[in-house]
Amino acid sequence: MAVSQISVFVESRPGHLKRILDLLEQCSVNVRGYSCSDTGDYGITRFVVDRPDMAMKALKEAGVAVTESQILCLKLEDDPGELARVFGVIAKLNMNVKYSYSLISTYIAVGVDDVATAEEALNNQPVEFVSQQDLQA
Amino acid sequence: MSESHSTIMYQPEIETLSRDEIRALQLKKLKKQVAWTYSRVDWYRQKMDEMGVSPDDIKTLEDVRKLPFTDKSVLRDTYPFGLFGVPLDEVVRLHASSGTTGKPIVVGYNNHDLDVWRDCIARLAQMAGVVPSDRVQMAFGYGMFTGGFGLHYGCEHLGCMVIPASSGNTQRQLMMINDYQSTVLVATPSYAMHICEYGEKHGFDWSKSSLRIGLFGGEPCPPALKQEIESRMHIICTDNYGLTEVMGPGVSGECLASRDMQHIAEDHFLWEIVDPKTGEPLPEGVPGELVLTPLDKQAFPVLRYRTHDLTMVTTEPCECGRTHARMKKVRTRTDDMLIIRGTNVFPSQVEDILAQIDGVSPHYRIEVDNETGLDRMVIMVELLPEAFSDSFNEMDAFRKKIAQKLKQTMLVASEVKLIEPGGIERSFGKTKHVIDKRK
Repeated sequence: MAVSQISVFVESRPGHLKRILDLLEQCSVNVRGYSCSDTGDYGITRFVVDRPDMAMKALKEAGVAVTESQILCLKLEDDPGELARVFGVIAKLNMNVKYSYSLISTYIAVGVDDVATAEEALNNQPVEFVSQQDLQA
Repeated sequence: MSESHSTIMYQPEIETLSRDEIRALQLKKLKKQVAWTYSRVDWYRQKMDEMGVSPDDIKTLEDVRKLPFTDKSVLRDTYPFGLFGVPLDEVVRLHASSGTTGKPIVVGYNNHDLDVWRDCIARLAQMAGVVPSDRVQMAFGYGMFTGGFGLHYGCEHLGCMVIPASSGNTQRQLMMINDYQSTVLVATPSYAMHICEYGEKHGFDWSKSSLRIGLFGGEPCPPALKQEIESRMHIICTDNYGLTEVMGPGVSGECLASRDMQHIAEDHFLWEIVDPKTGEPLPEGVPGELVLTPLDKQAFPVLRYRTHDLTMVTTEPCECGRTHARMKKVRTRTDDMLIIRGTNVFPSQVEDILAQIDGVSPHYRIEVDNETGLDRMVIMVELLPEAFSDSFNEMDAFRKKIAQKLKQTMLVASEVKLIEPGGIERSFGKTKHVIDKRK
């Protein structure tokens, strides 16, 4: 039940990210979570949105450097130790969490090298998966 | 010799003269031109008197070496009319250089000069395949720049329908191509690329457009950029060469048989290739600085003009059937050279290297500063959407690979900065590739 993540090439200069967000707004795409970090001259901003197909189309048409990939999206209980428990499952697989960020509420996005294996391992655990449909709600 | 290359020639009786006939014609014209210049322009008369050379000393073409060089500074020092060879009443047109540094330089033409110019342009237009039934959309700026009026009257003289659109207002350019069914686009290559991209973004289908030929000038056209424009706009592009100081566009033009070279209008221009440092002549085929002496200029005669353009010339026969010498397309000016931490760097090297790397566009910008006391060169490179990946490691490896390739050829390290697709400004005139902030 992986979801789509949209990654965009952004330059470190005022207004660049805003332009990307304006493009999403123009096609009424709702951003449900994102991750931006300080990496120097340029960076990769990752988005989880309600309608990834629409977002990809709009960004590509505008000539933006953009790529789509699959990540896991999980809904955690809002309790101490929950994040440790979930990442513990992935650690046991001897797999790296490449990056992770939280979405709306206690939703978190998790990027790993092998989405299917991690998904299977997490399926046996008390944690709720979030689907693309859930994100549209 | 392929039929399509040989059929269209504007002045075959001149363009196919034997080498001996060309040299004889050049010598006859050179003698006349030197006498004209000596008798009418004070600066040349004084200079030649100082050097102890008179027009009678020109007995062979090689004797041109006895004459003084003319550098751009002379044109500035005599600004505006000091080098004119006819009374100003007889001048029917003025043009000026784009004046990127210092004062502009001004040149003038009488009716004879304009006739020669039109012929030169009509010749290069036909070399590129333009015929009288073509509709030529002029997306060059008009104004003082020689490109606009030069191409305008040359194409009109050939019998084409000329559409004086001028540069800018890209949406209107597309409308004109569509409504008037333009078949030839005259533009700087960077502006043609801009029109191409703008059209693609706005749903213009280049494969169905009436355009078939691009006539480029005003700035060097890197082969990679030309190929990109040709495949995306579905046209054949040629570029031509010239400079305001000796006439404007029309000095040389590309034929369809020899795409990296341009035929020099040798009946109107005597070329020399010299060592840029010493001014000494170099043998045929050796790259050096192009020096031009117009052989048919009355209002603004110049002798041995130092173009500061690096090229090489060959008189080997061309498949198209033209006998006039061909110069390699100018990619580099002797004064474009940057010295970075003691190493000579030419911006055209960056262009050549980028053309060999998948995933980047041919557009780039170089910024140089020495804030830390040491020269620091940053090369902005435009990423293509397909080369983007969702991994910092991969992107950084890509960036480092580009920096490595640049260093291998340029022998000096630079920082590479990745810029989003379309992020490097496209220019309407001379593309400014280098920003030198050194103090």
